[in-house]
Amino acid sequence: MLASYVRLEILRSVRNRKFVILGIGFPLVIYLLNANVFGKETTDDGVTVSAYVMVSMAAYGAISGVLVNTAGPWAQERASGWLPQLQVTPLPGWTIIVGKLAGALTLVLPSMLLVCLAGALTQGVSLSVGQWAALVGALWAGAVPFAALGLVAGSLLRPDAVQPVTLVTMLGLVIVGGLWFPVGSMSGTMRSIAEASPAYRYADMGWSVIAGHGVPLADALTVAGWAAALGGLAVLAYRRATVRP
Amino acid sequence: METIPSTPAFALTGVAKQYGDVRAVDGLSVTAAAGGAIALLGPNGAGKSTTVSLLLGLARPTAGTVRVLGGTPGEAVARGRVGAMLQQGELMPELTIGELVGFVRGLYPRPLPLGEILDLADLGSLVKRRTKGLSGGQAQRVRFALAVAGAPDLLVLDEPTAAMDVESRQRFWDGMRAYAAGGRTVLFATHYLEEADQHADRVLVIARGRLAADGTPAQIKATAGGRLVTFRLGDQPAAGLDALPGVTSVEIRDGVARLRTADAALTTAALYRGTTLEVHDLEVSGGHLEDAFLALTRES
Repeated sequence: MLASYVRLEILRSVRNRKFVILGIGFPLVIYLLNANVFGKETTDDGVTVSAYVMVSMAAYGAISGVLVNTAGPWAQERASGWLPQLQVTPLPGWTIIVGKLAGALTLVLPSMLLVCLAGALTQGVSLSVGQWAALVGALWAGAVPFAALGLVAGSLLRPDAVQPVTLVTMLGLVIVGGLWFPVGSMSGTMRSIAEASPAYRYADMGWSVIAGHGVPLADALTVAGWAAALGGLAVLAYRRATVRP
Repeated sequence: METIPSTPAFALTGVAKQYGDVRAVDGLSVTAAAGGAIALLGPNGAGKSTTVSLLLGLARPTAGTVRVLGGTPGEAVARGRVGAMLQQGELMPELTIGELVGFVRGLYPRPLPLGEILDLADLGSLVKRRTKGLSGGQAQRVRFALAVAGAPDLLVLDEPTAAMDVESRQRFWDGMRAYAAGGRTVLFATHYLEEADQHADRVLVIARGRLAADGTPAQIKATAGGRLVTFRLGDQPAAGLDALPGVTSVEIRDGVARLRTADAALTTAALYRGTTLEVHDLEVSGGHLEDAFLALTRES
């Protein structure tokens, strides 16, 4: 039942033009624009900007993708009566939240892979097979807390409120986290704030991999901590949203 | 009356449901044997949808117990023994009707074949259509398909014909009848009297959260006075009129006999064949379910 529910979630999102454009197309376009303008320069770590921005945009695509695929549809389903429709079938309640998480994670793979592919094929980003695997693996698994955050928003907010709130949250996360404007260009205080933020820690796993340092344990633990906290919150919010009067 | 010792389709015992200050259901007790079509008839706000929610486990009773097919509503739903058509359940706009029905079908242990579902809901030609942009009646038929997909033993339909045109309605009731004919139980909530009269074997009339009447459509009509058979008796003797089949009361005034009856056809037939009276100006009036309904829901 979980598998067919995940399949339904994926089918539904793939047919949603908004997701295809914002979730898959947008990160790729921004990446190509940035890489073509600044690609030849190198960062303090000795990595080319085209590789650095590739990680930033893959991370940005993953964050925006999981948020778009969780918060809005879930709030909409609660309001529209699709949820009670599911509740009168044998589908167990936990499948809904787990299925949405699994569906959202599956759906960010294409955008992540496309950005990486564009980096390798058009920008000359060259990494070992192990580095590619570590990069995609870390960014993929690390998207869990953001998917959980989307589910929290979808459980707590009404459909008309969820869209702006998700957008602002997403922009806040990626801008503060240095995914759009690198932390290297920030002032001291801003930089400290950025480096403590979840999106920075998340993307830093990727930046470290391409610089040849592997995934830093501190980053991995921080992201795992966020995953545990937001995952727990998502379960609580889900319970609250589906309570039977 | 019921001799089959099977598990009831559902049993409500002293059920009450309070929403804030509103007592939506107020001490409802009713047991439904398995099989046949049951109408839950009542005006808007009578507690029909709340009763449906309680039966489906979408709401919990404030007092009393709800049993469905021998278990709690949640158990019956989890085992795939209940199917339901809710009011205003929106469908996923990105999916086709075939995909949606296929998905819900796959959630049940012993679903109906896809072709049979589409036939019952009269959706064969729409299988590849996305659910976005369907007419109200078409969307209702999709909801009906989702409700029957799992071949549930108890099918619950909340105001199923809302938004359907006349033709859709007729086909819908044919589908419902075909489904109930297989020994399954169908409960439908409606505020249309003629639907209860024409399509139910048993009618539960509810008003203000209470059971106002319970019986076959004919019994419901009879309990609220039945029908009135009047004719000119003249100076013929009135003896024996009260013994005619179906007659519950006799009144003679100015040479006109007024017989209240639970079964007008039986009474008039016996009047002609079983008596030697000369019957003039025979009239049969009243006894529409509507009269009964108004009488029952007025002061309860």
